[in-house]
Amino acid sequence: MIYPNNLLFCILLIPLLGSIFLMTVSFKYSKFLKSIALTIACITFVFSLILWFFFDKSLGSFQFCTSQVWFLEYSLTFSLGVDGISLFFVILTTLLIPICLLISWTSVNHSLKIYLVLFLIMESMLIGVFCILDILLFYIFFESVLIPMFLIIGIWGSRERKIRASFLFFLYTLFGSVSMLLSILYIYYQSGTTDYKVLLSFSFSFFEQKFLWFSFFLSFATKVPMIPAHLWLPEAHVEAPTSGSVVLAGVLLKLGVYGFIRFSLPLFPEACFYFSPMVYSLAGAGIVYASFTAIRQTDFKRIVAYTSIAHMNLVILGIFSFNSIGIEGAILQSLSHGFVASGLFMTIGVVYERYHTRMVRYYGGLAHTMPLYVFIFLFFTMANIGLPGTSSFIGEFLILTGSFQSNTSITLIGATSMVIGGCYSLWLFNRISYGNLKTQHFIEFLDVNKLEFLIFLPLIFGTILMGLLPVIFLDYLHMSVNSLIEFIYF
Amino acid sequence: MNITTISLLFHIILVPEIFLGISIIYLVLHCLFVGYNRNNKFFLFEKSTLFLISLVIIMVCFLLINQNFLDLQISGFSNCFISDVLSNISRIIIGITSFIFFLVTEHYIGTQKINSFEYYIIFLFGVLGTFLICTANDLLAAYLSIELQGLSFYLLASFNKNSSYSVENGLKYFILGSFSSGLFLYGSSILYGLFGTLNFTDFFDLTEDSTSNYIYCPDIFQYPLILILVSLLFKLAIAPFHVWLPDIYEGSPFSSTFFFAVVPKLSIFILFLKIFNYCFFNLVSYLMEILVFIAVFSVIVGSFGGLEQRKLKSLLAYSSIGHMGYLLIVFSLPNNEGFQLGFCYLTIYMISGICFWIILMLITVKNLYLKKRNKDLTDLILLYKSNLGLSISLNVILFSIAGFPPLIGFLVKIGLFFATIEISYYLVSILSIFCSVISTFYYIRVIKILYFETVLVGKLYYPIKNQIIFILLVLVYFLIFLFVRPNLLFFISYKIGFGF
Repeated sequence: MIYPNNLLFCILLIPLLGSIFLMTVSFKYSKFLKSIALTIACITFVFSLILWFFFDKSLGSFQFCTSQVWFLEYSLTFSLGVDGISLFFVILTTLLIPICLLISWTSVNHSLKIYLVLFLIMESMLIGVFCILDILLFYIFFESVLIPMFLIIGIWGSRERKIRASFLFFLYTLFGSVSMLLSILYIYYQSGTTDYKVLLSFSFSFFEQKFLWFSFFLSFATKVPMIPAHLWLPEAHVEAPTSGSVVLAGVLLKLGVYGFIRFSLPLFPEACFYFSPMVYSLAGAGIVYASFTAIRQTDFKRIVAYTSIAHMNLVILGIFSFNSIGIEGAILQSLSHGFVASGLFMTIGVVYERYHTRMVRYYGGLAHTMPLYVFIFLFFTMANIGLPGTSSFIGEFLILTGSFQSNTSITLIGATSMVIGGCYSLWLFNRISYGNLKTQHFIEFLDVNKLEFLIFLPLIFGTILMGLLPVIFLDYLHMSVNSLIEFIYF
Repeated sequence: MNITTISLLFHIILVPEIFLGISIIYLVLHCLFVGYNRNNKFFLFEKSTLFLISLVIIMVCFLLINQNFLDLQISGFSNCFISDVLSNISRIIIGITSFIFFLVTEHYIGTQKINSFEYYIIFLFGVLGTFLICTANDLLAAYLSIELQGLSFYLLASFNKNSSYSVENGLKYFILGSFSSGLFLYGSSILYGLFGTLNFTDFFDLTEDSTSNYIYCPDIFQYPLILILVSLLFKLAIAPFHVWLPDIYEGSPFSSTFFFAVVPKLSIFILFLKIFNYCFFNLVSYLMEILVFIAVFSVIVGSFGGLEQRKLKSLLAYSSIGHMGYLLIVFSLPNNEGFQLGFCYLTIYMISGICFWIILMLITVKNLYLKKRNKDLTDLILLYKSNLGLSISLNVILFSIAGFPPLIGFLVKIGLFFATIEISYYLVSILSIFCSVISTFYYIRVIKILYFETVLVGKLYYPIKNQIIFILLVLVYFLIFLFVRPNLLFFISYKIGFGF
């Protein structure tokens, strides 16, 4: 099939060049700045849709491959390419960034220019993470995402605690990923290349695999986050501005998942099997712990943060089921989590902008005054629980089916997340929306306005589309996941 | 071509230095008699003097670049000085650095009222000494050039006559510096006793042959070499000998600290290389393990010591200790690649160091200079609100120094870790990589102060000149651009390594 050349370079470079252009515009023209940034983000989204259109779903290999010599001394090449696994992550990223810019259309007023520039740079880096076919460059992009996010949490965070949160976010991720750097260097030393496609045919000894897998695991598990290293996530989510939370939950957590699927599974398959009991137990503990912790939180955002820990750990179970159903389910569930968690954070953002509190006990009875808002909130709550018809149901169902084949008992523990998830989600919804209107705290009430509704619309549409017609996503995944499975078993 | 023309040709190698020396002498006379302003009772700068000095530095740079076309190895002055690719390129880097230094500090020393004309004369002597160290091919010549460099540094450190700190500081620097120079002299005198020569080429020839008499009893060479090693480590402020560094940085004026924090690192490392990686390469294999140990220790001290610093200069001092440790790791590796990489590292370190010191000098607070000369970290609070461009460049520089991915600092650090893994120093690479993470903590604390604080303290800065902004932009551009096309830098260093 003929496809446009250098399309991936375009997608990668448009936000970057756009951010450079934004830097030259004076900060006085705030409206112009916003609209330019939004236009750039939308153009990137359109380009990624073109990518989807031209993508050949009958191939399991990488497509749109382009490469450029980058560093002659160490023979490193800057090579890009997408397959079915990374395609949807790219589209998710390019969809969420314009949404983030729209969320902060009115709420971010001070130092707007850096804000827009940081978001565009972050978009470019994230696309780079998902498209790059070189381990060292993957690490570079993986780490680069930290800087914009660190600044976004720090500058536009709401409370004093934001500094602690941004430091936790930065240092946890850095400590995790540094071990990955060491093992990447070791891989380069052993195989003489960091090209992903070449490395796929390179086999490490079992002893090496164990070390390499573990150091990769440290990095990705901090990003997911799995249980001992999960502490940064609630902090970062709570302190970040709404748009920061949306990117954090929507895309940044997926970096860990993507890393597991892309690198840990095909490069170190034996070590994956060797360590899978540990992963199962950590993920199972994470699911149960995070779900129970979510019940007793008082902060609106913290609850959603803990739910996303639970969901992401379920995704890990799907990945380590080592069969195509589980892995496809994991990818689908992380995409759906990208929609649903973003939607939930945006609903929090809507009320936070009005009342400037996230404490659940101040809210109550919003159904009386904000019916449209409550409807949207109900929709995302149901999607979070995994109601049939929404995207989460498909994802969770596939994950549990997949992991049932490989390990029954851990599936049992994982499935409790759906029950406990129902508990905390419904209870949260109940406390916020029903009951008496707490007029002693709030006097003015304002339903969701046009702009906000328009922001919610693509997410709702995506959730329903993925729930009713998962085939259009799964079709693109089949071949890539099957070729991945081949690397695991053969 | 007869013999006299050849020996004349040999003197070509020091043409920039000779030109610089003569022009310094002229500048002294010029400042005393022509540039003397009768309205002031002090010998302050005149416009003509500044113009002349910048002309001299530009001329020296041109002469150096002209020298670079001679890719041959030529030694002259009865083999005391040598000109090769390494010395040429390092001299060009130092020349450009000193030109930048001159342009940047001109305004600062005016505001700090240390603008008597000797300042730049002494500075030019320091540059001369640095050039001579890069070309030295003889222990005595090296010693004398170190002294020339060192003495001008001591004077520059104590130049702020109104501050008792600065004077005390100059004395401290002098005593410690001359002590370490004494060690160097002592070591070289023992070597003279053993070999009967002080020339680097002769040393190399004598120790190259493993069957020669000198190799039979290598123990005796330990003592002079260790003395020289300690002296050089002292000058570089590597960990067991680092305690003086934050103190000296704190006391001296910013402009002087800028100079002796950036420039001598290159020159002394080149001397270090010449002595340990060239002359006594066959004798010092047992020293390598000690060197690696010292280097890792220095990295650890640099990363943990910086955590509790509240002052900008001390922070930079500890950062410098850590970076010198990384450099020592690179240079103590027994292969040529390590050397190339070290040169890249050094260049990048110098570029980012220059940027950092320029920014620190630019944010001189108005009206406060008498009360508070030592800057706290808190002076940088919310810089991004008053000057966005400056804070963004500081941000880039900090991440580059910390070795964070999308910047060139990361690439050279990667090279370091890779070189250590290649010769299976796994423990060294693990330790240094974790120390680099720990040191990231204090760099991002500066960024926190730049962006995240909530209290805005009203401050008045001096206006910033366009030329300084231009220099800063070019340097920051280098830090970003070199990451996209790293081959440029590595090609130069490859050439150096090949010629070495």
